[in-house]
Amino acid sequence: MRWWPRMHMEAVWALVRAALLTAMQYRASFIAEFLVGALSAVGVAAPLFLVYARVPEIQGWTLDQALLVTGFFLLYNAFVSGIVEPNLGSIVEGVRTGALDYLLLRPVDAQLVLSFSRVAPTAIWELLAGVVVVVGALMRLGAPTVADSALAAGLLVAGLASTYGLWLLVVCTSFWFVRVDNLRFLLSAVTDAGRWPVSVYGRGLRIALTTVVPVALVSSYPAMALLHRLDTSLVLGAFATAGVMLVVSRGVLRLALSRYASASS
Amino acid sequence: MNTGAPEERVWLGSGPGARVSHLLRAWPAVLRVAFAGLVAYRAEMVIWVLSATLPLVMLSLWNAAATGGPVGGYDQLAFTRYFAVNLVVRQLTGSWIVWELNWAIRKGELSPKLLRPMNPLVYNFAETLSALPFRAGVLLPLVGALAWWRPEVLFLPSPTVFFAFVASVLASFILAWTVQALFGMLAFWFEQSMGFWSAWFAIWSLLAGYFVPLDLFPAWAVAGTRLLPFYSTLGAPIDLLLGKVDPASTLATQWGWVVALSALAALTWRTGIRRYGAVGA
Repeated sequence: MRWWPRMHMEAVWALVRAALLTAMQYRASFIAEFLVGALSAVGVAAPLFLVYARVPEIQGWTLDQALLVTGFFLLYNAFVSGIVEPNLGSIVEGVRTGALDYLLLRPVDAQLVLSFSRVAPTAIWELLAGVVVVVGALMRLGAPTVADSALAAGLLVAGLASTYGLWLLVVCTSFWFVRVDNLRFLLSAVTDAGRWPVSVYGRGLRIALTTVVPVALVSSYPAMALLHRLDTSLVLGAFATAGVMLVVSRGVLRLALSRYASASS
Repeated sequence: MNTGAPEERVWLGSGPGARVSHLLRAWPAVLRVAFAGLVAYRAEMVIWVLSATLPLVMLSLWNAAATGGPVGGYDQLAFTRYFAVNLVVRQLTGSWIVWELNWAIRKGELSPKLLRPMNPLVYNFAETLSALPFRAGVLLPLVGALAWWRPEVLFLPSPTVFFAFVASVLASFILAWTVQALFGMLAFWFEQSMGFWSAWFAIWSLLAGYFVPLDLFPAWAVAGTRLLPFYSTLGAPIDLLLGKVDPASTLATQWGWVVALSALAALTWRTGIRRYGAVGA
């Protein structure tokens, strides 16, 4: 695997389309999952309504502003459960069973194949819920400027890239320690902290949530951009974190693949 | 299984009394085997336990909300106590049978388990029970760290309240396991019942007091939500220990649910297992 991936866009598109078709064949369960998506959105937002029924604002965040963070958190969740988890989960499985060999044989960049061959389409309900919450909150807060919206979108992408890098790093440990499925549960438990505005946490946690487990970058930062609360250093920090996470995780994946001896040989 | 000595054959007879005494004799061995199985995967167990940090995430929100003064009668200390007990009770009442049943029914792995002279559900219950000392062991350092960090969180309940709390946690343990078993058994009818379980979990997190003490619900909803089975599986023991509810009526509600849902689970098992046989697995 070379450092700079050659982007075979048509290959990526074919992978995603095949994955979608595979997953959509269970039509009944796909529609039943709608209920789950809606309920989990309610579950994430309801505590906020209960808190804000009693206090007008928390650490400088009003209900509508905090709902923005919740909406972005739902988008992050949709990304993780829709794309990251199915793919990277299959790496862990592939290392254990040896099925990874077949993926690595394909003449496309290994990271692309490993990251985009599966889609869990039920995540679309969570995606939809996230969009509804963000748009709903914005309708009450007033439309943001075009510049702020563009910055928020950029930060969302950077945040998703950072968290993707972190997931990839965790999954790469499976090349050394075969059984790490449970580390994924631990990671998603920790990233649950991203559902509230990052300022509700203490100083130590706040730093951890923006650097070590950068889930605040994907939920709080885009919301702060829309509310025009970010200074340049925070923005640069977010993009730098994304860059570092992507480079480091690709490096570790390269190292892991070069040491991968395949289960069959 | 009828190859033992004559008196053993009598012991393995099919009457309900014989079945119970059989179970009682096998019980210690089952617990030992289950515990050994858990110890083999101890690293995974620790990770599972550490994953249950959601009460702490909730605590941060309520703690931040209460910086300016108590919220609905809870100050920061009360919130910390509530979510600390929440973490402990959730940990002690944890089970995994819904995953196991889903897997076993879909993959046909239930078949060999049915050949054992012990009902697979009972076996899993023993496994879950034998995980308790382990979970308690992992909780100790967590609670110790909390006591060291904020000693004012610790408090000593009266003996009556403490024993009521133990009875309440026991009811929650049985209930939480029974509900999971019920959802797991849905896999007899649907190929995959995890979706139903996720939906239940989402409603449960709100109405059980996992995210929010039920006291903080709108006044008209508090009494009603305390009668629902959700509350009996988690919030009841917490509120009982913190002296928020009357122990006698809370325990009555909880054990009432235990009886009702266990009966439903037994019925579901009997109907479902016939269906499983019909599939030809």
